Amino acid sequence: MNTAAAPVIELRGVRKTYRLGTHTVPALQGVDLRVTAGEMVALTGPSGSGKSTILNLAGLIDAPDAGEVRLRGATVDARAEHAATLLRRDTIGFVFQGFNLIPVMTVAENVDYPLFLAGLPSAERRTRVAAMLDAVGLTEHARHRPDALSGGQRQRVAIARALVKRPALVIADEPTASLDSHTAEQMLDLMRDLGHREGASFLIATHDGRLTRRCDRVIALLDGVIQS
Amino acid sequence: MNALPLLSTLPWLPWLRFAWLNTLRNRRRSLVTVTIAALGTAAILIASGFAQSTYRGLAESAARTTGHLVIAHAAQFDGDEDVPLQHGLSGADALTRQLLADPQVRQVLPRVEFSGLISNGDKSTVMTAVGIAPDAEFAVKGPFLTVKSGRVLAGQERDTVMLGAGLARSLKADAGSALTLLVSTTAGALNARDVLVAGVVTTGIAEIDQRLVYTDVATAQSLLVTDKVSSLGVFLDRMDATLPARDRLQPALGTLAVRTWEEQAPFYRSVRALYNRIFGALGLIIGVIVVFVVTNAMAMAVIERTREIGTLRALGTLPGQLVRSLALEGLVLGGAGGLLGALIAVAVSVGLLLFPVQMPPPPGRTVGYPLVIDLHPSLCAATLLGMLALVMLASALVARKTVRRPVVEALAHV
Repeated sequence: MNTAAAPVIELRGVRKTYRLGTHTVPALQGVDLRVTAGEMVALTGPSGSGKSTILNLAGLIDAPDAGEVRLRGATVDARAEHAATLLRRDTIGFVFQGFNLIPVMTVAENVDYPLFLAGLPSAERRTRVAAMLDAVGLTEHARHRPDALSGGQRQRVAIARALVKRPALVIADEPTASLDSHTAEQMLDLMRDLGHREGASFLIATHDGRLTRRCDRVIALLDGVIQS
Repeated sequence: MNALPLLSTLPWLPWLRFAWLNTLRNRRRSLVTVTIAALGTAAILIASGFAQSTYRGLAESAARTTGHLVIAHAAQFDGDEDVPLQHGLSGADALTRQLLADPQVRQVLPRVEFSGLISNGDKSTVMTAVGIAPDAEFAVKGPFLTVKSGRVLAGQERDTVMLGAGLARSLKADAGSALTLLVSTTAGALNARDVLVAGVVTTGIAEIDQRLVYTDVATAQSLLVTDKVSSLGVFLDRMDATLPARDRLQPALGTLAVRTWEEQAPFYRSVRALYNRIFGALGLIIGVIVVFVVTNAMAMAVIERTREIGTLRALGTLPGQLVRSLALEGLVLGGAGGLLGALIAVAVSVGLLLFPVQMPPPPGRTVGYPLVIDLHPSLCAATLLGMLALVMLASALVARKTVRRPVVEALAHV
């Protein structure tokens, strides 16, 4: 198997339906999608088109009703909670629209948390966290709590947290939606540079045209179906 | 970068730290929870301490009255006699010497129990009399009677008595009064003896004081025309030596029965059973209230942090790790409350020693008693551990549902 060409994440014939009371809403209707190593892929489309559902499935926090999710060539069942959790811990980084930093932890602790969960030796954790904080320009804020940071700084912490464990895949849901234009562009450049440096693939849901222009590939969705 | 503040590598410390920091997020709620846990713990400890001091007081009183062990013929304990001392002990002196040979036996006191009439010449009334060895009795028991007037019996005196306060009042007698004791002898004949009142005493129990007469063993035996005693009270060097001493002494006593003070103290047993029920129910109610309060606080905290829990789950935190972290949060709240409650209970206990409070007389008694809270370290430790276990369990149960919620739902929680 040629690992360079192998997809990091692959969705095959994936379907997902949500139940809202007595109604059922088809979110994905047979989606096929591949993200290869180091690739930055943008998912675009109007609200309800299925972007977040694809992110949830690729991020192993939800399971499809039909079809298959493959992570680095192996089929994954997100319903197998323990195994999926360990896969997320070791392989996938998340950047959320609302940053989702842990308020009781300092900046350094937020970035350190995935490494702590993975059980890395403290010396290596220290090196990686220091390097990542340096990369996102937050070394001086290491001891601050998230509520003492600006929106841009918080998102940089979130990006550092997602990338510090050197994940194969970063899932980012509207990562620039809460940021002003200038900060958003800085974040995009940062993600792209760090992603390349750490060898991570990105799957990003976005409405932001500036972001899609920086991606390797753009997938347009409508009503749970890939349009292009 | 050596000063970079990372999470500790010690297995429990980061989770304990998160728990501590999370309790500080809503300080008012945490303060209320800790306060209620503290008051609950203090209430349980104070009530338990009061019960313990009551048990100790009653136990010491019962052992002081009868002796730690009572030795008599088995039939004597049934109380059915056709004639006085029908089941009495012969050879009490030899038996006393034998018992005193045991290293833990401090004193052996003979008792001659009998009943009859007591008269002042104008009025006769029923008496319940006890013949004792006065010097030894008062040396071992200390001031177990309150002398209202006159004095207690002296060792070599004969034909003197102490009267219960109620009986003295009934007979219009006081120290120095001359009275007559009229009894049925061990042979069934009537016998009378003139006695002098040495003093008037009270036991604190009005009904006993109405009939009580103390005299010396020799006078009692002379009155009953016998050399027997009803029983021997064995006084040991400490309370907890009672059961081992019984087991050690019994084989050497042949057919004689050995009863412990507790077997001879139905009042102690019934008070203990009653208090255990009352304070047990009280403790249960307080425990339930504390658990509900902590559970409610934790439920609110968990619901407020649903999105955060979803984030932690997405990042790869196992449900068990989160449940443990939230249970530790309950532990921090319950632990802080429990420790504060224990401090309050200790302060109350010490305060009562420094500034004594007198309780009113219990039903049937004429004298009150000092309010004392006995706080043993084992009682405090058991209460604290119980409280911690309950709040941890309650917190874990509350957290479990949210932590097990699908990550997507938790992240979408508003």
